[in-house]
This record gives sequence, C-alpha cells and structure tokens, in this order.
Amino acid sequence: MRIGNRRYWLFQLIGWGSFVFINAFFAFSFDQLTPIVFKRLGVFLVLGVLFSHLMRSIIIHFGLLQKNLNKQVLQFFVITFCVTFVVSYISVEVLIGFNLMKKTEAELLDRADVSFWINKLLLVLSMAFSYFLLFFIWSLIYFVYHYVAKSRKQQMDTLQLESLVKELELKTIKAHINPHFIFNSLNSIRALVDENPERARKGITELSNILRSSMQADKAEAVAFQKELFIVKDYLALENMRFEDRLKIEYQVDENTLPLPVPPMMLQTLVENAIKHGISKQIHGGVVRVTSTIKNNFHELSVQNTGYLNGHMSGEGFGLSSTTNRLSLLYGNKAKFEIKQASASLVEARVSIPVEADY
Amino acid sequence: MRAIIIDDERLARAELKKLLQDFPEVEVIDEAANAEEGISKIDSQQPDLIFLDIQMPGKTGFDMLSELEKAPHVIFTTAYDEFALKAFEVNALDYLLKPVEPKRLADAIHKLQHTEGKEIRTTEEYTNNSILSEHDQVFVKDGERCWFVRLSDIRLFESVGNYAKVFFGTNKPLILKSLNALEERLDEKFFFRANRKHIVNLRMIDKIEPYFNGGLLLEMKGGEKIEVSRRQTVKFKEMMSL
Repeated sequence: MRIGNRRYWLFQLIGWGSFVFINAFFAFSFDQLTPIVFKRLGVFLVLGVLFSHLMRSIIIHFGLLQKNLNKQVLQFFVITFCVTFVVSYISVEVLIGFNLMKKTEAELLDRADVSFWINKLLLVLSMAFSYFLLFFIWSLIYFVYHYVAKSRKQQMDTLQLESLVKELELKTIKAHINPHFIFNSLNSIRALVDENPERARKGITELSNILRSSMQADKAEAVAFQKELFIVKDYLALENMRFEDRLKIEYQVDENTLPLPVPPMMLQTLVENAIKHGISKQIHGGVVRVTSTIKNNFHELSVQNTGYLNGHMSGEGFGLSSTTNRLSLLYGNKAKFEIKQASASLVEARVSIPVEADY
Repeated sequence: MRAIIIDDERLARAELKKLLQDFPEVEVIDEAANAEEGISKIDSQQPDLIFLDIQMPGKTGFDMLSELEKAPHVIFTTAYDEFALKAFEVNALDYLLKPVEPKRLADAIHKLQHTEGKEIRTTEEYTNNSILSEHDQVFVKDGERCWFVRLSDIRLFESVGNYAKVFFGTNKPLILKSLNALEERLDEKFFFRANRKHIVNLRMIDKIEPYFNGGLLLEMKGGEKIEVSRRQTVKFKEMMSL
C-alpha cells in the first residue's frame, strides 16, 4: 500500500523543511548563522531527502507493510540503522571534502595521539547519533501513517461488506422461491399431462403466477393482502397437486383485511415453512390453515400446520429470522412475530402488523 | 432388472413409471411411498435396482439405505441438486434430477447394465439371501457422510460397544450392528472371527506372525495389527491349510 506520491512528497517537504527551519532558527538565535552552517544544512537536507526516499523504496520493494506487525517493527529498526550509518559515513566524507566541518569536529579529526581512521570512525558515530534520531522519527511517521490508514481501510471494507450482505439478504428474502418447489411442481405437472390434462393446465397457470409475482416482489415495499393471498392460494394449490390427499388446506380470511398492506412474500414464506418443516415431514400429511383477522387494531396473520416445533429452530432460521428482520425494518418494534406449538400436533406462526401504520 | 420406485409423491412415481415404459429391460415390480414401506418391500422382494427419492417424510433416502442389510443398485431421484451432490459423495451409481430427462435416464440404465454385466459370475451367489457375498455392497452412513462399500473392500470389523467400526480405504465409520450379528451374515469363506473384538477379511491380510501363547498376529493391508485368539488360531490354521 503506497500513499499517493503527492502526499508523500508533501510529507517529505514538511518534515525536512521543518528540520532545516528549526536548525536555522536555533543558529540564528545563537547568532551563528554563518554561510558554513547554511551549507552544512544544505548537505544534511540533500542527504536526508535522498536517503529517506531510498528507505521508502526499500520498504516498498520488500513489501514490508504487508508483513505481520512484529516483523514490520523489527525490520523498520534494521533498515533505519543501516541507512543511518551509510548516511553518516557519506556526510563525514562530504563535510571533509568540502571543508565544512565545525571547529569541534576538525579538532577531533586532528588529534595526534590516535590514528586518523579511529578519529574518523568516532566522527561517523557521533554523526550517526543525530541522524538516527531523524531517520527514526521519519520511520515512525511513515509506519504509523500506514498503520492507521490500513486499519481505517479495513474498517471501511468491513462496513461496506456488512451493508452489502444486508442488502443482498433482503433481496433474496423478497425474491425467495424455493427451486426445489419449482422442480417438484414441474414434475407433477408433467405427470398430470396424461393423467389429468385440465389440472395440468391449471398447474402451469398457478406456477406462472407465482414466478411472476416473485419477480415483481422486490420492487414493492408492501402489497395489498389480497394480492399476497392470491399467490399463497396458487402456491398451496400446487403443493396440493403434489401431496394430494396428504395436504388439506383451510382459509379463514376476514374480508376487511383484504385491502390492508402487507410486506410482499411474507405470508408466502410462512406457508412455505409450514409445508417444508411440517407437512412434508409427516408420513400421513396434515393440514395447513391460513387465518387473517383484525384484532385490537392489529392485522393478525396466522399459519397453522400439522407438525412439531423441534429444538433446532436455528436450522430453519433463514425464513423465520428474515421475517423478524423485515418486520423490524418496516415497522420498528410495533409489529410482532412469534412461532409456537399451538396444540399437541399444530404449530402456529403468527404475525401482527399495526393497522394504521403508514409507509 | 427388477426395480422398485420409492418416492413419497404419487405423481412422481407415476411419471417415472411412465418414462420407464420405454425400457423393457427394467421391470417395475413395486413402489413405496416412504422409507418404512421401502425397507419392507426391498426385504421381501429383493429388487436389483431401486429408484430412490432422497427427501421423504419420516426418514430420508440415505437413512433408509443405511438400515438395509445389503444395498441393491440405487439411482437417486431428486428435484434439487443440494442433495444430489451428497449422493455423489456416496458414490451412488447415478442420480436423476426431477423432472427426469429421458436421455439421462437412458444413460443411467445403460451404465447400470454395464456394471451388471461385469458381475454376472457372482449371480449364483445371490441364491442364498441371508449370507452376504463378497460382491454385495452395503450402505454405510456415519453422521453426514455415507458410502457404498463392497464387502470385498472391507478389511476389518471392530466391536465398539453396540457398534461395529468398519475399516475400508482410509475410513472407519461406525455402524449400529453387533459383531455377532455381522458374523452370522458374513460369508465365512472370506471373513474370519479373529477374536472377541475383530472380524477380518482373509483376503486383506498382509502378514501372519506367531504370537504369545500359540496365538497369531495378523497384519492387515491397512497396517492394523490383529491378534488371533488361541482357540481361533486352531480354526484359522485348519482353514488356511485346506
């Protein structure tokens, strides 16, 4: 990960600029702003920029920022050390070559009792000390900047992913039609083509209605209950064609509830669950009862089916938890959803939607 | 080939029967609407082939197979490939997606006839149904994983409480059968009760070494070492010297 080149150079400019500025300022306040000090600063500046840039190239080249944290810290130190010594050596050479040494430095080099090389080494070491500080600060800024940028990007990515998942989930819930159901229905219809052509024709119509409505469903937030009921009736008629006498269907629908708005495919999901987890598991089948009434200003939709509510509710989670999620997204905490064992052999799923809710 | 169709939907069975009319080599002798019915009909009529729906009320097709003493050839039928993928893992002969494409059905039947052809030499062994021959296959289900295993591929049965551990390939799943019950059903020409805890496949023995107390130590082809009890050693030597 590289920060944009422009920002990098801006950082370099500010960093090394302030280094020069501070040094010049101190020299000025101690009244030592001589041409030599300026030239020396120039040398440090050029070498500093050059070698910090080299350090950046090394970091990028070895992909240091992609490694784990411990390795990063260790390698930052190693690189900083190496670069520091190289720079110090070069600056000593340059300072000697252009005769830009301070008085103390010149004296150190000229000590007669020790060999010239040891003096020079001492000079390099003392130079390295201040260079190390500079490059260490440089590395620290570089490292921290990237560390923060990286973790912020990760956070952003996670957030984006989460919202994408949520959106997709909602889309699938709405458009959800079990492919198993489609193929089983087609198979039954094919068998009926010979046995009962009239029923087969009806089956094709019912299946088309369901497919069409499931495609349109994701466009609307709410549909009239009547429309939803049509789909459910088609769906159950098809399941009845498959299960034959193993499935009995009963409707108890209050006419006043027909125009009320409901979330599309919600009742459908509950009915599908009733078949999938109820009827299809009973050897002798059972009953599915769809009830729609108004109670205390709540539109109550209930689906009862023969079957047993077993412990592993989480297994059938998608349909149910999506129902809860949709209700809370649409109505806040005003709507209710519950599923319970209504009697010894009947499971009931019930949704209560506030009647005067506006969308 | 005598076949039984097992599917909980009458229309699905009717449709498959109709498709099978084009294949005179397959004779549908019966049908069943659930796993229980399926098991009893398979036991009483011993079909060569079953068409098996996977999702059925009560028990799934896999559960049903694991309860059979020996598995006939199976062609799975399913509406959705979520389960078909699983069927592949159990190396079933084939699976068909509903609505069944006639071409795929023909392929499956031809493939089956091909394997049947290879097994003709074993047909006389089918005469005694209570004893499993080494070419019989059994269906083994261990949790989510299932296998069709030929008895000749099984190295060893090991008793673990009420269960038996079945060793084949690199797998050793548990089946709910006692070692004694297994011994009664296995052909003693191929399977030998080495001791209280083990039944070994005689063709899967790699090495035989003498052991303490005049017993023997068998090393199986999978590397398992099985001790033959002293009493059984006498019997073992008798059998091997024949």
